[in-house]
Amino acid sequence: MDSLIASNIRQRPTRTLVSVAGVALGVILIVVNTSLVRGMLSDRMGREKGLGAEIQFSRKGSSVISVSSILSLDVRYGDRLKQIEGVENVSPVGRYVQRSSTGFGIEQLDGIDFDSYQAISGLKLISGRPFQSENEVMIDDFKAAQSKLTVGSDIPVFGQTKKVVGIYTPASGSRIKMSLRALQDAQSAPDKCTFIMVKCKNPADEAIVQERIDKELPGNIVILTRDVATGFGRAVPGLDGFIRSVLILSTIVSTLVILIAMYTTITERTREIGILKSLGASKSYIVGLIEKEALAISFIGVIAGVAGAGLVTFVLGKSTTLQLEFDWKWVLIAGIVGLAAGLLGALYPALRAANQDPVAALSYE
Amino acid sequence: MSEVVRTGQPAAAASPILTTEELTMTYHVGKVDVYALRGVNVDVAKGDFVSIMGPSGCGKSTLLHILGGLLQPTSGKVIVDGENLATVTDAERTDIRRRKIGFVFQRFNLFPTLTAEGNLKLAEHIHGKTGGDSNMRREVLRLLGLENKLHHKPLELSGGEQQRVALARAIVNRPSIILADEPTGNLDSENSDMVLRMLKQLNEQFQQTIVMITHNPEAAAVASRTIEMRDGRVVS
Repeated sequence: MDSLIASNIRQRPTRTLVSVAGVALGVILIVVNTSLVRGMLSDRMGREKGLGAEIQFSRKGSSVISVSSILSLDVRYGDRLKQIEGVENVSPVGRYVQRSSTGFGIEQLDGIDFDSYQAISGLKLISGRPFQSENEVMIDDFKAAQSKLTVGSDIPVFGQTKKVVGIYTPASGSRIKMSLRALQDAQSAPDKCTFIMVKCKNPADEAIVQERIDKELPGNIVILTRDVATGFGRAVPGLDGFIRSVLILSTIVSTLVILIAMYTTITERTREIGILKSLGASKSYIVGLIEKEALAISFIGVIAGVAGAGLVTFVLGKSTTLQLEFDWKWVLIAGIVGLAAGLLGALYPALRAANQDPVAALSYE
Repeated sequence: MSEVVRTGQPAAAASPILTTEELTMTYHVGKVDVYALRGVNVDVAKGDFVSIMGPSGCGKSTLLHILGGLLQPTSGKVIVDGENLATVTDAERTDIRRRKIGFVFQRFNLFPTLTAEGNLKLAEHIHGKTGGDSNMRREVLRLLGLENKLHHKPLELSGGEQQRVALARAIVNRPSIILADEPTGNLDSENSDMVLRMLKQLNEQFQQTIVMITHNPEAAAVASRTIEMRDGRVVS
């Protein structure tokens, strides 16, 4: 039986290749997309930590984890926050979302008060200087390297061209930073920001300070920075739905390819099914034979898919600003999906073969 | 009522291993009923070598397929080694076929992707012998002069060699009965003689029961007796 499966796989290279490609495509879809999502969240988490503030304060409807451009929080909340016991320093941040300069996805930029932001985040300029006018921005070292930007380069913001005047490290918040005042002017929202970073005197007391702020300034969002990335994952519209869609789509693609390939093969092999029946092969034997063949093909497809996903992830990571994070849990899930799709896709052809009339099958030309 | 001719009574008074009683088979082609078998009664004794002759369309192949459990008869009995194929389920008929029947076809029907040995191993696997019986396999291949063709695929073998592999596959699990459907129909005279000689040898040396369909009177003469069919009936 095993040699029949192996020989069928070897002797029908086109069918095998198409089936393997179908399963591999499904695996690649799952692994690359989940790597993208994980990479995005992981990158986001790292940059939120880089803010240096333990707490982020915002108004309801303009969460720091929102991907919309809303400047609705009065910056004067900063003065009230400073008066709360345990708060060392605050810094207002305006966040703006625009289409990525690469044309792939979105990117955010932060409008900041340079001095207070630097005091909290520990931001260091590695080249150039801070922004001084509304047409100047700073970028982090990752964006500079990925987008091949240097001090003096032009960068599109609000559909206008801005000049990169400084490159900083470490990455924190959004990768592009400009003057909060310039952002407020551009958004016609004077004295407004999106959220306020809150630095605690003692970082270990962050939860206590969070509680105090919530009590003193009720009706607002007071979130610990370490919870932001998790919240970001939940806040991105349809992120879970997207992952589910990718899973379903991948399963459908793999299943259909295997189904069509196995159906064609079974039709070609009608006479062989008749021979198996004449030898006394039961229906379950024939179903098992075809399912094992599909499983073997799917296994090869999964291996090819994982290799392909690794390659795609590597190439995307090198050639774009996308952050991808390979996760073995999702590789395992993709593998299971690939194998299950193979079994599912082969089931109908297998049952059809098992139920063929042996005499008709033997006389099939 | 169909004409009943009971034939094939063996010379020795051995109990029949294969019996049909009033066997009928009707195909429905659109609104037309085609009567392939019209009350066939046959007895084949254990160790007998029976040939079935008759013109095309007389029902020979239909009879062979029913004897082998590939077809369910419209009515009548088919007793194979004590089990009535006409009353069992499809799964039970398959099981009886696996345990008791070996088929040899005119077109060899070997698996093209498997070697000669692979074809035999597959038959053994279906029979339930996981690793196969290598001694039995070697013995069968030696008997049929195929020791040097073990690793050849069907397309690398001559017609005669392919039919011998098919014959080896049919007997490797020691079935009670071999059903051969024009086994020499696709062979030249030299290979036909060789295959017939081997069938005869199997019958004489191992008392293998064989039922063979043929159009060729010379092939039929190799058998110990011949059943003549006409229009779905046994006539002699």
